[in-house]
Amino acid sequence: MKALLTPELLRRLEQFQLLAKRHAKSSIRGERRSKARGQSVEFADYRNYVVGDDLRYLDWNLYGRLDRLFLKLYEEERELPVTLFLDGSESMGFGEPSKFDFARQVAAAIGYVALCGFDRVSVRVFPNHRGRDAPPQAGESSNRQSSVDAMKALGALKSVRGRKSSMMFLTNLAMLVPGGRADFNESLKRGAMEASHGGVAVVLSDFLDEGGYEEGLKSLVSRGFQVSAVQILSPEELSPTSYGDLRLVDSETGHSEEVTFGRHRLEVYTRVVREHVERLRQHCRARGIQFFQCSSNGRLEDLLLKRLRESEVWG
Amino acid sequence: MGVNFLSPLAFVFAATIPVVVVFYLLKRRRATRVVPSTLLWQRYLAESQASTPFQRLRHNWLLVLQTLLLLLAVTALARPYFGGELSSGRLQVVILDASASMRATDGKPTRFDSAKLEALKLVDGLRDRDQMVLVHAGVSTEVRQSPTSVKSVLRRAIEQCAPSDAPTRLADALKLAETLTKDAPNSEIHLMSDGAAKDLDEFESQGLRINYHRMGVGGRNAAITGLDVRGHPEDPTQRRVLATVANLSSNAIQANLELRMEGRVLEVRNLTLEPRATSSQVFTTEQRSPEVVYSAKLDFSDDLPMDNEAAAVSQLPRPIRVILVTAGNKFLEKALRSHASAHLEVASSLGGQSPEADVVILDGVSPDPWPAVNVLAFRSAPAGWFTNSTELEVGGIVDWKPSHPLLQAVDLENVQIAKSLAVNPPSWAVSIVEAAQTPLVLAGDFQRNRVIWIGFDLYQSTWPLRVSFPIFISNAIEWLSPGAGGGAPASSRTGDPLRMMLPEGLSTIDITLPDQSARTIQLEAGTRDFLFGDTARAGVYSVRKGTQTARFAVNLADPAESDLWPREELRMGKHGGVGATTMKRADLEAWRWIAALGLAVLLWEWWFYNRRTV
Repeated sequence: MKALLTPELLRRLEQFQLLAKRHAKSSIRGERRSKARGQSVEFADYRNYVVGDDLRYLDWNLYGRLDRLFLKLYEEERELPVTLFLDGSESMGFGEPSKFDFARQVAAAIGYVALCGFDRVSVRVFPNHRGRDAPPQAGESSNRQSSVDAMKALGALKSVRGRKSSMMFLTNLAMLVPGGRADFNESLKRGAMEASHGGVAVVLSDFLDEGGYEEGLKSLVSRGFQVSAVQILSPEELSPTSYGDLRLVDSETGHSEEVTFGRHRLEVYTRVVREHVERLRQHCRARGIQFFQCSSNGRLEDLLLKRLRESEVWG
Repeated sequence: MGVNFLSPLAFVFAATIPVVVVFYLLKRRRATRVVPSTLLWQRYLAESQASTPFQRLRHNWLLVLQTLLLLLAVTALARPYFGGELSSGRLQVVILDASASMRATDGKPTRFDSAKLEALKLVDGLRDRDQMVLVHAGVSTEVRQSPTSVKSVLRRAIEQCAPSDAPTRLADALKLAETLTKDAPNSEIHLMSDGAAKDLDEFESQGLRINYHRMGVGGRNAAITGLDVRGHPEDPTQRRVLATVANLSSNAIQANLELRMEGRVLEVRNLTLEPRATSSQVFTTEQRSPEVVYSAKLDFSDDLPMDNEAAAVSQLPRPIRVILVTAGNKFLEKALRSHASAHLEVASSLGGQSPEADVVILDGVSPDPWPAVNVLAFRSAPAGWFTNSTELEVGGIVDWKPSHPLLQAVDLENVQIAKSLAVNPPSWAVSIVEAAQTPLVLAGDFQRNRVIWIGFDLYQSTWPLRVSFPIFISNAIEWLSPGAGGGAPASSRTGDPLRMMLPEGLSTIDITLPDQSARTIQLEAGTRDFLFGDTARAGVYSVRKGTQTARFAVNLADPAESDLWPREELRMGKHGGVGATTMKRADLEAWRWIAALGLAVLLWEWWFYNRRTV
């Protein structure tokens, strides 16, 4: 199995930390500032002493000056849940390299950075019933085995924390295979509802769903997620090279379209793609979602080390 | 000004328009490709084209243009034209030489067929405003089609033309063409001929645009150029048949000459003829029947078979009944008695009835009524022939016409005449001997009878003492009794009219032509002499005259016509000449083929476009 990220890239990613624009709302202690008061080194406020308070937090200097008992309060540091919504539908399997591979690498990088920052990482792959919709063919034991492994990996990826889990995280991520038909909006809505607290959400998809993407993104924002959307398209989708009289079959729905396409009609198509991407970008900007568009054969470092950093996804 | 179509049948091609539309409606064979999502393609389709067939047709400019192109092509094939007033175009006069030599088989298949093909090509090349006249130069020159632009009419007229067995007078045809093109500034004359014509030097081409389309390529031919039958000078039952055979090829030939009498072979001779050589063969046969047909056949395969055969009708001489009405003329009586066939009867007057004779000779006697037979009259004429006649002293003969049959071998050089009647010749007669002041001898046809009129008394001249006198009398008897004395021509040439004497009281005669077709001819009352002109076919003509039957042989007998070598240049007049030309292909109507080809390419393009897969 080929490693998703090179050791060199992992080393460079270790320098980053996810920049959360909001306070962590998790109830679990972690490394992130939160509005909750608790035990840390960061002084937050004073309050009057009441019977039963821990005497160790009394400010004796203040008692000396004012002759009154005040208790020093410290900020409670909580964990930051990072949820990665990874589109694993059939359509993500296209491209050279495939869009799913690229998405998985981005997910691995973000997850690795989060794990290094002691944040909880949760990967939600949709459709999440891989292995049931696409039963392996008879006699293809290797496929069957890989399907079982993928199911196990999915389970393991639901909640990962700690730097020591990072290698297992990357391994599990590498075991995933794309397949099946996804409902983008439904998947994101369910993810939003199942999350106990908001956090950082990164959506990795091609955003080519007949049902649209608006409802799904809206539900994440409403749930308090700090959302980043990464649209990954294959080079063939951006600039097709199949010309002539074609019958195009949708890999997920099986729906077909009859198209006569040629070099001279390429301009119309690229305009359609441009408009689609621009519409998505406008939608994201209006809702405070950071948007990134990239090609599956683009440079991963360019996205990770430059664009995400410039957009202060991490720093 | 309405639109008409020369080829409305071409609208049948409009049936191809639905074919093109069907091509558009047909399901195309498409290559199947699995793509991640068709979402973007749906939007692309919404922007670029509609997907259902009829919506596609609605906005398909290519289909509209192709349908328009088809409509234009079909309309062009239908050849629309506007009937309106236009300035005149070219006038083309096509002369089809229909002479016997055009039957030579070195054409497609004959020279005449080649000529018709060339003429049809000219018709194809006619432009809208051009006109064409078709002149058929056969036995006679006929305008088969007056000026017209209608090609179908011209084609039909050309198809109906056929060659004859006769020589032709191309000069007449060219003169006619000259007349037709006189007022047409933009005119051309197209002569479809092999140039085998003797009379072209009679025609002066004065700036005429003559295109000579030379027909034929070879000249392999041998011909019987003459067949004649003569009496034997010593034995009246013997006949001598004279056949003239010419080799007009460039190689020596060897052939059998066969002589038949009424179809029965009499003799076969093997002949060897050098190139361009002529051989005369004399056959002596015995003839018992008063009339037989001799035929000669040259057994040789050449380009013109029709001149390898010839026929001649031989008639044994029969006595000529001559009545001499005179008060006494020893010279005349002696000259008549010396004629071998003449059966002379001398009378002092004719009496009131028509005489039973072939020839009546009136010596200073003017009977009333004038006899309705052929007459030789000395100083005698019925009232009305001459307006005034006075007697003059004439002295000598100043001129005579030696080419006339009456004056053959007659020398009038030393004939002196004292006095003669001075007359103005009537319209029916020609003067053949003349003095300074007046004609002396007239000859002509008067009321269907031949008449020789002599204006002086024999005793007033030295003529009876000269050798020329009995010769003239003999010539006169022969001329006044055509066909009676065995001197009738054994055969005549194709195209020449047949002259036949008829018994009295006939209303119809039946003529059977060489191709066995029959003609019945209604005669006017009292017709004694009949000319039959439809002798374009060579062979034996049979004429049924009441109870009698006569036969006439008609042969080509024209060495110039049998000489098949196509002439590269036609000599015209004294100095002119026209070289053989080639057809001007630029005028051919080729656009129809190109339009049809374009149509085929269009259909093929769509078939190809719709079957290809990428």
